[in-house]
Amino acid sequence: MNIFKVLVFVHALLGALMCHASGDTGNQKAQQQAAPAAIKGPHGGVLLQDGETSLELAIFERGVPPEYRAWISHQGQVITPSTTQAAVLQVRIVRLGGIVNTFTFAYHGDAEQGGYWLGDGVVEEPHSFDVAASLSIAGKTHQWAWESHEGRVAIKKEIAEKAGIRTALAAPGRIQRTLSAYGSLVSGSENLSHIRARFPGQITRVDVNVGDRVKQGQVIAQIESSESLKRYSIFAPIAGIVTARHANTGELALAQPLFSITNLAKVWAELKIFPQQRAEVKSGQVVTIAAAASEQMSSIRQIIPTDDDPYVLARVPLFNVEGDNSSPWYPGQIVEANIVVEEVDVPLMVDKRALQSFRDWTVVFIQVGENYEIRPLELGRSDKTHVEVLSGLNAGDSYVLENSYLIKADIEKSGASHDH
Amino acid sequence: MIESILRFSIERRWLVLSFILVLIGGGVWSYQHLPIDAVPDITNVQVQVNTEAPGYSPLESEQRITYPVETALAGLPNLAYTRSISRYGLSQVTVVFEEGTDIYFARNLINGRLGAIKSTLPAGLEPEMGPISTGLGEIFMYTIEALPGAIQADGKAYDATALREIQDWIIKPQLALVPGVIEINTIGGYTKQYHVTPSPQLMLTFGVTLGDISEALRDNNSNRGAGYIEANGRQLLVRSPGQLQSLSDIENVVIKTIDAAPVTIADVGEVAIGKELRTGAATRDGRETVLGTAMMLVGENSREVSLAVALKLEGVRASLPEGIKVDTVYDRTTLVDKAIATVQKNLIEGALLVVVVLFLLLGNVRAALITAAIIPLAMLATISGMVQMGVSANLMSLGALDFGLIVDGAVIIVENAIRRLAEAQAKNGKLALKQRLELVFDATNEVIRPSLFGVIIITVVYIPLFSLTGVEGKMFHPMAATVVMALLSALVLSLTVVPAAVAVFMSGQVREKESLLIVATKSLYKPLLILAMKLRWLVLSAAIGLVFFSAWLATTLGSEFIPNLNEGDIALHALRIPGTGLEQAVAMQTLLEERVKAFPQVEKVFAKIGTAEVATDPMPPNVADNFVMLKPRSEWPDPSQTQGELVAEMEAAVKLLPGNNYEFTQPIQMRFNELISGVRTDLGIKVFGDDLEQLLKSAEAILDVVETIDGAADGKVEQVSGLPMLSVIPQRMTLARYGLSVRALQDTVATAIGGESVGLVFEGDRRFELVVRLPETLRRDVDSLGDLPVPLPNGGYVPLSEVAVIELAPAPNQISRENGKRRVVVTANVRGRDLGSFIGDVKQRINEEIELPPGYWLDYGGTFKQMESASKRLSIVVPITLAIILGLLIMAFSSVKDAAIIFTGVPLALTGGVIALWLRDMPLSISSGVGFIALSGVAVLNGLVMLAFIRQLWHEQGDLYLSIIDGAMIRLRPVLMTALVASLGFVPMALNTGTGAEVQRPLATVVIGGIVSSTLLTLFVLPILYRMAHGRDVKRG
Repeated sequence: MNIFKVLVFVHALLGALMCHASGDTGNQKAQQQAAPAAIKGPHGGVLLQDGETSLELAIFERGVPPEYRAWISHQGQVITPSTTQAAVLQVRIVRLGGIVNTFTFAYHGDAEQGGYWLGDGVVEEPHSFDVAASLSIAGKTHQWAWESHEGRVAIKKEIAEKAGIRTALAAPGRIQRTLSAYGSLVSGSENLSHIRARFPGQITRVDVNVGDRVKQGQVIAQIESSESLKRYSIFAPIAGIVTARHANTGELALAQPLFSITNLAKVWAELKIFPQQRAEVKSGQVVTIAAAASEQMSSIRQIIPTDDDPYVLARVPLFNVEGDNSSPWYPGQIVEANIVVEEVDVPLMVDKRALQSFRDWTVVFIQVGENYEIRPLELGRSDKTHVEVLSGLNAGDSYVLENSYLIKADIEKSGASHDH
Repeated sequence: MIESILRFSIERRWLVLSFILVLIGGGVWSYQHLPIDAVPDITNVQVQVNTEAPGYSPLESEQRITYPVETALAGLPNLAYTRSISRYGLSQVTVVFEEGTDIYFARNLINGRLGAIKSTLPAGLEPEMGPISTGLGEIFMYTIEALPGAIQADGKAYDATALREIQDWIIKPQLALVPGVIEINTIGGYTKQYHVTPSPQLMLTFGVTLGDISEALRDNNSNRGAGYIEANGRQLLVRSPGQLQSLSDIENVVIKTIDAAPVTIADVGEVAIGKELRTGAATRDGRETVLGTAMMLVGENSREVSLAVALKLEGVRASLPEGIKVDTVYDRTTLVDKAIATVQKNLIEGALLVVVVLFLLLGNVRAALITAAIIPLAMLATISGMVQMGVSANLMSLGALDFGLIVDGAVIIVENAIRRLAEAQAKNGKLALKQRLELVFDATNEVIRPSLFGVIIITVVYIPLFSLTGVEGKMFHPMAATVVMALLSALVLSLTVVPAAVAVFMSGQVREKESLLIVATKSLYKPLLILAMKLRWLVLSAAIGLVFFSAWLATTLGSEFIPNLNEGDIALHALRIPGTGLEQAVAMQTLLEERVKAFPQVEKVFAKIGTAEVATDPMPPNVADNFVMLKPRSEWPDPSQTQGELVAEMEAAVKLLPGNNYEFTQPIQMRFNELISGVRTDLGIKVFGDDLEQLLKSAEAILDVVETIDGAADGKVEQVSGLPMLSVIPQRMTLARYGLSVRALQDTVATAIGGESVGLVFEGDRRFELVVRLPETLRRDVDSLGDLPVPLPNGGYVPLSEVAVIELAPAPNQISRENGKRRVVVTANVRGRDLGSFIGDVKQRINEEIELPPGYWLDYGGTFKQMESASKRLSIVVPITLAIILGLLIMAFSSVKDAAIIFTGVPLALTGGVIALWLRDMPLSISSGVGFIALSGVAVLNGLVMLAFIRQLWHEQGDLYLSIIDGAMIRLRPVLMTALVASLGFVPMALNTGTGAEVQRPLATVVIGGIVSSTLLTLFVLPILYRMAHGRDVKRG
């Protein structure tokens, strides 16, 4: 309660008593001009007025790349090039980060049948910029300027810092695209030897036991031929480990294998490549093979088909280091492989953590000072961490790397509108 | 009859007085059984049926659970409507019953129906009814934290899982035992689980599948009893324990053997204590915490229950491990105590003021005391009545009690009695007992009718309040009931106890000192009255002008429908975009809470994000309920700052934080809103139909139309989509080529990502789920989900991407249904235009412009419906009430003319109320409406007393003019007294700034303002009107 109110009250009371007819207080004339963006024209665009001249400017994007269309009228007359008044229209847009596009307009179509002034060039997404339109008509130039922002948000520096919003610069880089596949290890047929006696006979001496390492050409047994009764030696055909022995002194060596020697210096990973990956996997590609605790880089030597199975086998040699007892690779083992199917230097790439979905686009958010704005991207190849940018971003742009979700959340919460 | 009651009361005065003792006894007993809360309970009769469906997406939970449950519950007796939401992992069907349905009866019905459909629901899913509680149920909240440096028995620091275990197994079982507590609801932390996380590669190596692992764990985890053996006279029980008891037990479970070599769980993966896939989190002061909420059984005394919980919690502290702190963050007792203190203060101050006024104006201590004694007696009787009627004591029900009004009847009687006694004593000296009793009877009888009628009329005017329904009804019925009970008990007391007490206690010399005040007023009043009678046309036109002026003024006042009770704490919803993950929400919450905590007024801030264990309030993870507990005002930097200002300041500060939208409210209010959960905008257009996309399309088309209509504001379509969903779509042809079924594929995906529960691990009494799922690093890697090997029936594997298409696309966020049909709501408010014509326009435009496909239909709702129905009802009830009052007046005077004269008092009384509201910048509201109601009663009462006397004098003396002047002079004192006590009784309320002031201030302001104008009217305008009305009679006679 205040004095003023009491006075008003008393005044009103007296007024009521004296039965005053309340007079017209007079219409307050609206002096201020409405913000241009607030008024929609008949074509759904922004309606700009200055005295008797009016301009409607719209972004049209149904069925065509986004373009500017304009309708001009002066003194109630629709202006086309055929009317007496010549009109020159220019629109200038300044995007976040200072990029400027200028559009000049030419008349398109027939005034009777929905003709319009058409801006030259495509209005690239996002449609977020400060617009300045200048229209010269009847010797007078009208100027309008307004903001038309979308997908833009301002966050104070200290808050962004506290919220963990970190940026990075968009730059060229190397994309290493990989596929993963599983497969099992087999020993190569050249590394496995089943040794038999040349002539049947009695085994007179056995020099090696299961698990022994043998060198190539090493004598591993002696047999007395049953026919010639001569003794002959059996040599190890390859170096390796004796994995089976079916021979003891005094036994008969007939057609059965006496020893098996396996060489583990080199084993083969047979990776199963399923149809979807088939097109991308080629021999010569670099592969990282991993199992349990070990990892080795190698490359695909061959790709061989299988009989019935739907996949093909990519064969990758793996090497066990000589003398290393642990021999990490052994036949029968299941391994996981990362195949580098493509490695390419790209002119521009961004970290995958920066990507967010926005409407139908995949976007990153660029940062200019305390402003952040969407940049819809056209993306190319990608690997586990980075993705190539084909268009939508410039090298050197500072984009939000960490906590980009916060920016998306902030833009979407303010009910971003797509203004045309 | 009245005479015989009076005679009885005076003759058997001691007997009547001894009834007071009975009254006191009954009142005191009732007081101890009176349910006390801060605010009235406005929850409707509802039962929530929650079905937890881990892993179900909104579409699945609607199709498989919500629909069968809803269908089963359709057609229950007394059913008002059902509504449901289907979200990730939860289906909630809310069944709302007609008012007055017994909740236990309703739950019984539902239980029966649910039992019948259990077999049609997916295996393992159990629909459960929510706790038997209301919006007032969340009475006590506490957080559990570990002090820095505290370590667990195994030497590790306490993490969120360990804290949750303490809550689940130590605190909760003890608190759940407190009488009146129906549920301890937990949110935050992680329920402890045992996790087996096999590596895909190792599984391939050993040729085992996720299915093999699950089966092995299921088959190797049970105890078995095997009866008993009797041997040598002893009875030996036999059992075979086989339960898994530790991590290493689990690791050693054999999955299969390869060439006699056992393959154990440890061979293919890791076993560890893991985190559940939780649906909710809790934070406090920027850190994650575990939050427990005690929920009160419906109808309990919230103050008592929360006190008991607090006491029990003290006891629980002793049983907690070293270094664990349990902190009470919300305790309803605080609020209730504050509310009670407010009511007490108001009532006591009001009562004191009344006593002082009585004493000053009557100038007789005994008389004043007799009148004042009505106050506690009526109060006790009212309390007894409240207990009997089941009305709880709260700010609303006690908020409108005015002792001034209550004693009005008694004042008139006592005043007349001492005037007559004094007169008689002045004439005859000391009176004999018989004479005195006779005189008391006469004096009482003289005024009993007008005062009886007056009080009955005041009571009658409260009747329209009973016609309010819904939330308004729930808020104002208790208020009306309490006032009516207080008035009726005062009425009975003035009929019995007052005459008896006057007869007993006014035995000695009655000196009626007209206090100076009265003498002065009288000497001022007489010339003014005579002047007014001369200038009657001027006075009348002034009065009429005033009425019109204030009628116009009333239209300029804003209006608000329901008052907001200030709870002294702030609650705010932090809303993020749909699809925000829990971890992200917690991170955003941290930032928000740190900012809020930085306010010096804030004592603590805590929040619930997402859905708690018992889904009493199913929120998605992108919504957080923040509770901001404020320090006592004295500790604020500026104690005079209002809460509204603080909220505005806070809103401005948190607006700067990225990614959040806010809705400010208060804890209890928030809960009410969640439970009632209707459309809270002026207009809600519900589109019903089958196809979600079509619904959304139609809704958007409707919004476009609505937005172009003049006056529309805040137009919105309900947020139903926008949940990012990763769909693994089986490719049937390729699956067939590999010999896989869709189900086999889905099983693999579900187990790998969501996990499969394969049993329980017992630790003593505690039991924890044993879950098989992929290691966290693999689960989170969306890009390589396609590489997940799916085992083939004949051994071998195929990558997931080979047999399924993996798609990331937005999907329905939640599916809402009402009365068994999908619906999407379009909401809008109306600004600067009257609601009725706006709604008309909307309906017309939508009819013309929107074409709905067959099978789709619209329903209009929103608060406009309630306002419409309320005003429709009031437009019937108010005239009826006025007719009743008029009827009563005619009965009292047997004269339509006199009744009409008195009735003119009502508009003039209202003028004062309107002006008082305007002076104090208050809007019209139901609260002020109640004030107007009380006011009309007082106005009529005053007029009644005045006119009755004038009429009597006129009949006795025969001179109209003199009778009017004399009568008015004699009635000046009682009129002033009733006016003064009634308005002074409200003064503390009008000035109140404490808890509950929002309701009481407008009411009290209206009454005080109105009484001033109504008294002026009674003193000046009524005599004029009476003379004008009867002048002709005189001439004719």
